[in-house]
Amino acid sequence: MQPTRDPGATLPDLLEVLLNKGVHLNLDLIISVADVPLIGVNLRATIAGIETMIEYGMMRQWDEQTRAWVQRSLTRELPMAQGEEVVAAMAASYYQDDFYRTWRPGRAYLTTKRLILHRRDPAETLWQADLDSITAAEQYTESSVGGADRARLKITLQDGSETRISALDAEHLLSLIRKQRDLPAPSSSPSDAGQAGPKISGSMWYLETFAQGGTWRGGRATLTQDGLLTWKSPMDNRASLRIEPDQLTSISAEERSNPTNHSKVLLLETTSGTVQLASPDLSHWVEALEDHPSTAKEVSRGT
Amino acid sequence: MTAQTLYVYAIVPADSPAPTGTGIDGAPLHTVNSAQVSAVVHTHHSGPYEGPDEDVKRWVLEHSDVIEDCWSHASSVLPVSFNVIARGSDDAGATAADQLKSWLDDAGDDLSQRLADLAGTSELRVEITLSTEEFPQHDPTVTQLTADLEEKPPGVRRLLEKRLQKVQKQVTDAAADQLYPEYRARLAAQCLQLQDYASAHRPAGTVSVLSAACLVDSAHISRLGAELTSIQEETPSAHIRFLGPWPPYSFVDIDAGVTSESRDGAA
Repeated sequence: MQPTRDPGATLPDLLEVLLNKGVHLNLDLIISVADVPLIGVNLRATIAGIETMIEYGMMRQWDEQTRAWVQRSLTRELPMAQGEEVVAAMAASYYQDDFYRTWRPGRAYLTTKRLILHRRDPAETLWQADLDSITAAEQYTESSVGGADRARLKITLQDGSETRISALDAEHLLSLIRKQRDLPAPSSSPSDAGQAGPKISGSMWYLETFAQGGTWRGGRATLTQDGLLTWKSPMDNRASLRIEPDQLTSISAEERSNPTNHSKVLLLETTSGTVQLASPDLSHWVEALEDHPSTAKEVSRGT
Repeated sequence: MTAQTLYVYAIVPADSPAPTGTGIDGAPLHTVNSAQVSAVVHTHHSGPYEGPDEDVKRWVLEHSDVIEDCWSHASSVLPVSFNVIARGSDDAGATAADQLKSWLDDAGDDLSQRLADLAGTSELRVEITLSTEEFPQHDPTVTQLTADLEEKPPGVRRLLEKRLQKVQKQVTDAAADQLYPEYRARLAAQCLQLQDYASAHRPAGTVSVLSAACLVDSAHISRLGAELTSIQEETPSAHIRFLGPWPPYSFVDIDAGVTSESRDGAA
């Protein structure tokens, strides 16, 4: 197959690339993130990237300086208390139920102290609650106006009031709220039975193979109750790694260089090749993966 | 804004040949040089370009022509995006050229490293989509629903058609989830870097499997083409767009440090 440069076919693509990409420089504004100078207008593109990382709650892995910078840029319109930090932020809407019943779009910010639904422009805090006052947080599914099923969250406060919000990744937001608040997962909900939350989910590095060799990429791995292992980078459109339980033939840990502080990486032998993963939490992953009945018998434990 | 500014098109290695053509609206081009790198610029007398879409399109294309010209004559190029203008500083008593030069001096190491990394590379774009109508036509649920449709009165038909469309979309999307890891791995093996992007124009009735900017060794573009040919042969209903080669527009971003790289992980 030959690539095309025919302007008739590629003009919209070229315009998009030229308007959004490239080295940007603005001498008024040279900032430093993680000690690498980023230049000027590029800030906008960079913030978009960083916000994606934040949606995935990956911020905790960053160094102090980067976090401080991101906190400042994130919270310009959102006053924070002393010591309060944003843990995650994502597109979300709040169901307003007074004079008008309507979904109002904004962003959900989960901080170390509060859950806030905020609209940036014009600036308005649509709803907020102290994490301490949240007594329950549950996920439910509702058909949107367009007919698609949407995952929503129902937040119950101490005063008995219930608030409904929707979020880009409601499931992930919920898990972060629970982690932050130490809320138990709901004991039993009939609709949850079939699709219970993931068995284990967390930050993970994946060694992706390119023409010149491997590159460790940061992202998020999830192992479902059914034993499906996926890994997705926040920069990618879909999960780059997808291992069904019957494709996994062996699990081992071996000493190899990797971006974490641990000396070992996880080697997964699959029907379509070997996959290398690295996590600061390797032992939990090994346990969870070995725990799955279909692979348990074939597991060979590395040294 | 201070009187004279510099409109910047591209950064090239310091020993590159002088730009040949003209810039936006025929503006004469020159370079601002530092020890390691040069900026290709024109002397600008006003603010950023603004105007009707048609004018913007023309300016953007003239901008890209300059970058293409640098790309074909210099060993490497860092494209600068549209409407990047350096200006002087009244406080520091520095002209636009002074400011730009001091940035080139300061960032020289990073910029020349990136230029070296990108030498001999091209950007290609690959978009693989599936038609929600064609792709799942052999799916049992879809076949059943389609058969049911035939005998129903128009009112019921409309409802069923809605449901059919929803099922077609779900089946295609699930297939895309399955195909993405495979396609991505196969393309990555032929690329130096790969970067997903959100496709700006997605026709209705399609599901995007993969939209990626590919950084490829210019000498090996045909290998990526061959991989796409075999994907096309395996899945005839997949629609593949293969665009380029372009200068490495999507790969000039200086790494924000959120991902770290290492050559093969084996110690």
